[in-house]
Amino acid sequence: MAVSSQKTSSTRALTDSELTDSSGAWAREARMTASKRAQAAGLPQRRDEYWKYTRPDAFVQADVTLQASLRTSLGLFDRRTTVSVGFGDGKIQAAALPSAVHCTLESLASASVLDLHWARDVYGRLEAAGQKPVERSLAAVNTAIAREGLLLNVTGAVEAPIHIHATSSGHSDAIIHHVIKVAEGAAVTLIETGQYGARSNIVLEVDVADGGRFHHIRVQDGNERHMLTHIFGKIGAEATFKSFTLTSGVELTRNECVLQLLGDNASVSVAGACLGDRDFHHDDTVFITHDAVNCESRQVFKKVLRNGAVGVFQGKILVKAGAQRTDGYQISQSLLLDDDSQFLAKPELEIYADDVACSHGSTSGAIDEQALFYLRSRGVPEAKAVDLLTLSFVAEAIEEIEDEDLAQDILDHLTETLSAR
Amino acid sequence: MAMDDIQVKDGVDAETVEAVKALSGTYKYGWNTEIEMEYAPKGLSEDIVRLISSKNDEPEWMLDWRLAAYRRWLELIEPDWAMVDYPTIDFQDQYYYARPKSMEEKPKSLDEVDPKLLETYKKLGIPLKEQALLAGVEAPEGERRVAVDAVFDSVSVGTTFKAELRKAGVIFCSISEAIREHPELVRKYLGSVVPVSDNYYATLNSAVFSDGSFVYIPPGVRCPMELSTYFRINAENTGQFERTLIIADKDSYVSYLEGCTAPQRDVAQLHAAVVELVLLDDAEIKYSTVQNWFPGDENGKGGIYNFVTKRADCRGDRSKVMWTQVETGSAVTWKYPSCVLRGDDSQGEFYSIAIANNMQQADTGTKMVHLGKNTKSRIVSKGISAGKAQNTYRGLVSMHPKAKNSRNYTQCDSLLIGDKCGAHTVPYIEVKNNSSRVEHEATTSKVDDDQLFYCRSRGMDEEEAVALVVNGFCKEVLQALPMEFAMEAQALVAISLEGSVG
Amino acid sequence: MLNIKNLHVKLEEEDKQILKGVNLFLEPGKVHAIMGPNGSGKSTLSYVLSGKGGYEVTDGSAQLEGVDILDMEAEERAAAGLFLAFQYPVEIPGVGNMTFLRTAVNAQRKLRGEEEMSAGEFLKVVRAKAKDLKIDADMLKRPVNVGFSGGEKKRNEILQMAMLEPKMCILDETDSGLDVDAMKLVAQGVNALRDDKRTFLVITHYQRLLDHIKPDVVHIMANGRIIKTGGPELALEVENNGYADLLEEVA
Repeated sequence: MAVSSQKTSSTRALTDSELTDSSGAWAREARMTASKRAQAAGLPQRRDEYWKYTRPDAFVQADVTLQASLRTSLGLFDRRTTVSVGFGDGKIQAAALPSAVHCTLESLASASVLDLHWARDVYGRLEAAGQKPVERSLAAVNTAIAREGLLLNVTGAVEAPIHIHATSSGHSDAIIHHVIKVAEGAAVTLIETGQYGARSNIVLEVDVADGGRFHHIRVQDGNERHMLTHIFGKIGAEATFKSFTLTSGVELTRNECVLQLLGDNASVSVAGACLGDRDFHHDDTVFITHDAVNCESRQVFKKVLRNGAVGVFQGKILVKAGAQRTDGYQISQSLLLDDDSQFLAKPELEIYADDVACSHGSTSGAIDEQALFYLRSRGVPEAKAVDLLTLSFVAEAIEEIEDEDLAQDILDHLTETLSAR
Repeated sequence: MAMDDIQVKDGVDAETVEAVKALSGTYKYGWNTEIEMEYAPKGLSEDIVRLISSKNDEPEWMLDWRLAAYRRWLELIEPDWAMVDYPTIDFQDQYYYARPKSMEEKPKSLDEVDPKLLETYKKLGIPLKEQALLAGVEAPEGERRVAVDAVFDSVSVGTTFKAELRKAGVIFCSISEAIREHPELVRKYLGSVVPVSDNYYATLNSAVFSDGSFVYIPPGVRCPMELSTYFRINAENTGQFERTLIIADKDSYVSYLEGCTAPQRDVAQLHAAVVELVLLDDAEIKYSTVQNWFPGDENGKGGIYNFVTKRADCRGDRSKVMWTQVETGSAVTWKYPSCVLRGDDSQGEFYSIAIANNMQQADTGTKMVHLGKNTKSRIVSKGISAGKAQNTYRGLVSMHPKAKNSRNYTQCDSLLIGDKCGAHTVPYIEVKNNSSRVEHEATTSKVDDDQLFYCRSRGMDEEEAVALVVNGFCKEVLQALPMEFAMEAQALVAISLEGSVG
Repeated sequence: MLNIKNLHVKLEEEDKQILKGVNLFLEPGKVHAIMGPNGSGKSTLSYVLSGKGGYEVTDGSAQLEGVDILDMEAEERAAAGLFLAFQYPVEIPGVGNMTFLRTAVNAQRKLRGEEEMSAGEFLKVVRAKAKDLKIDADMLKRPVNVGFSGGEKKRNEILQMAMLEPKMCILDETDSGLDVDAMKLVAQGVNALRDDKRTFLVITHYQRLLDHIKPDVVHIMANGRIIKTGGPELALEVENNGYADLLEEVA
């Protein structure tokens, strides 16, 4: 099925010349092949099994308007020393990016005009690897047309977190493609807050070499209408990958995370907490492939929903033949605060190796009446008690954040968000 | 109750070892009875549908129903979402009707049944007690009774205990007889649980089903005995299209046993059965299956393709259905016994053991659709993969907005034996109200080395040890089986895993 | 302090009468004990007084300092000075014990129109009180009751009582699951809170707790009613003879 011009991209029809316009050799090649991938796969359809619980049309519709600002994560990590990277309306703001020891920061816009660049080995490569067994054509579209993103080359242990904060002022689409390369034994923490555009299509490719460590903390609480994110990770031996996302704003989000564990003894964690209200529709789709020995993967997702909000979890652990001693854990739980909200889950295991311990658990239900009464009998008013129990409910996901300070920031932010609503 | 029966519950594991020894050898039921067959020509057309209908002396409305299904089937596409892989089936290269020639004139009593058929049951391992029933011998006072409606390929050949059942008001007969004798019941309920257009295989079945069982339990009646159907596929290249309809009227109860074996052959065989259960207020049905069809040889050649649609409609308040299945056979299994919990306070249970060895592929599970208030469901699934087999649990738990205060508990465990097989879990969970509670747990692991070592250090060989540990793994489901089946099921668990270790 | 008159209670979901006319008058500064066999309605009484759902008051009243409490929400009763030490305290993962305590203390103060306790002051007070109950800093940091032993849970209940300074304390089977040392510690905590204004209602199955928390009045409850009231000697009588004799006496 060819991608027709009307639904070619989130924004406009593509031509080969547009794709490669002003691109250097490496970017041109990556974009052309991504465009072919997207065309071959076609755009996701409502009937696709992989889009069973979220309608893909919203990500390709033409008209999107930005709503009035509700709340913002601005200032969330101000207590911490970070290396700050600002995005304004989909462009990296500062003329010169900040510098940090043991890493280089560049913008995709400036790097893509070069003919040679280190990002060549990652850009579009991990995304391409993540197109099997399920096609993710909107990510391929991103690779083909993204003009901006942060290219982060990490060569040692970077002390302060790199903090991307995005702002946006009006009706705009943002198509952003970040590339992060963590060298052998290097380590970095990436924080993402704010909003890229009225509608965003974000791809983050992360190549973590042997012994590398990548931590990612993301807050999605802006007023973006639609947000589609893909993380494509390639994890080497003894390496660590951890990603946590807090979602409390954004009308429609789909966060896909596609990880390939290719080296022995690697460890990954993908976690998320979301607070959904009214038109909120939040979809976490995770696909973790174990293709090495003695690796551990964790998926921890907690969804608190009310007033008709919808929470979706599609998580899969694929253990390839030979990936012995795999430890896979997956939990998805929802707390439905009223009768109108919905939780839709498909937690999958596909296992071709015998020496494994994989499990998944999923629960859905209302607030625990016993606990609620306990709190109220101590004088805590009902609304406050519900907030406390909400915090209690999402705690397991927040505990996946390794850095205690950042975890505390998230917890504080969550507490504020709860008491503000 | 005999001592043996008690031990089935308490000492499952110990007896398994005995069973493994006693039942060694390859496929026990791999033989072919030489009975003359009468075939309709190969292929499927309106004419074949008409032929099947007329051979069964069906009324006009039934023929129309079949033809509508056939026309619908032509528009459908064979589903491909299950994790099973098999050569394309040429539906025009199948026989859709076959029956033993000696059955052309229906027997008036069991004495008239072809002695070879009775011999068949013996080979099938139908317990002596039940053979006696088949032979018309009255069981001693107080003995547990089982009525058998034996389906040999396509035509029901004999039913026992008819008189006693009739006294209780229970109707237990072949579906072709029911269509003739009880059209009002059949017309009311046939296709009401699994609609004609439900899915590809169910629609095919609706067009060409040759025979099957029919049960009606009147209001307030507890069926005085367990009802049992043994059937097997016995003619080369014959698609078997069973149709079962069980109606439990208000406040009634029935336990139904279904067991299958099939002879060895080298051409894949197609099977697409439909089972419909209807439960009115306060009714209860227990439906137990031991499925041991020929799984194909070590290379997967010649096994049965088993595409089954089983569904219970708990349309009455407080009704209760329990599906228990032990699936050890077939080359390809595609089967999801489901419960529609429509009535308030209705309950559905699903207990399953699915064993896939060698090249077998099983994609099985259940759907629990909660529509009524205070409905409860429980799923216990134990999947065992060995050899190069692929075993998938696929299930749906759906809480509709109006299913307030409902509960589901799902436990879904997979066991892997060897590093060439696969175990997969694909549950769908859809919750649309907050007063319901859904809990789903799944684990996948290999046979515990410590347990194996412990057994072997006590003198068991590896195969015995595996059979023992696997039986322990399955215990919760084995215990849900009626006693008649528990023993057979344990033996099957052991037999199915032969050659999976070492 | 607490005045219960002719209290009739049934289960909301089913037609089962549990309390069949309970009368109790608890004076300020006194310790009353309620003893009785299992299923007599002791725990139900404590739940109904503290406002747990699932029960329906079909008749009678309960007043705390002259104010009817049965129509109040659970948190309002707490703010009014009622406290129930639970037989089975609930575990709340992810919520720190300190956070929980501080939220409760300040919520009650707010409901009473008082100023919130500052973080510094709160910390000082809680540390002092925790020390008396041998609750270490680690236990204060951990999530509420999660991974606590039986004894730790009960001590935590008493710590909450000490922090919230209620007027009317109900202890529901606080001795269950405790060894002698743990029970002594809990009793010390309770006794430290005794003064001439605070009232206690100690619900227990056995007399042994009453060796450590000396009651002024002992009631025997059976089949949803108070069947006998007396001094501390009544508890000893039960200890020696069991409930059977008493039940026969009234039958």
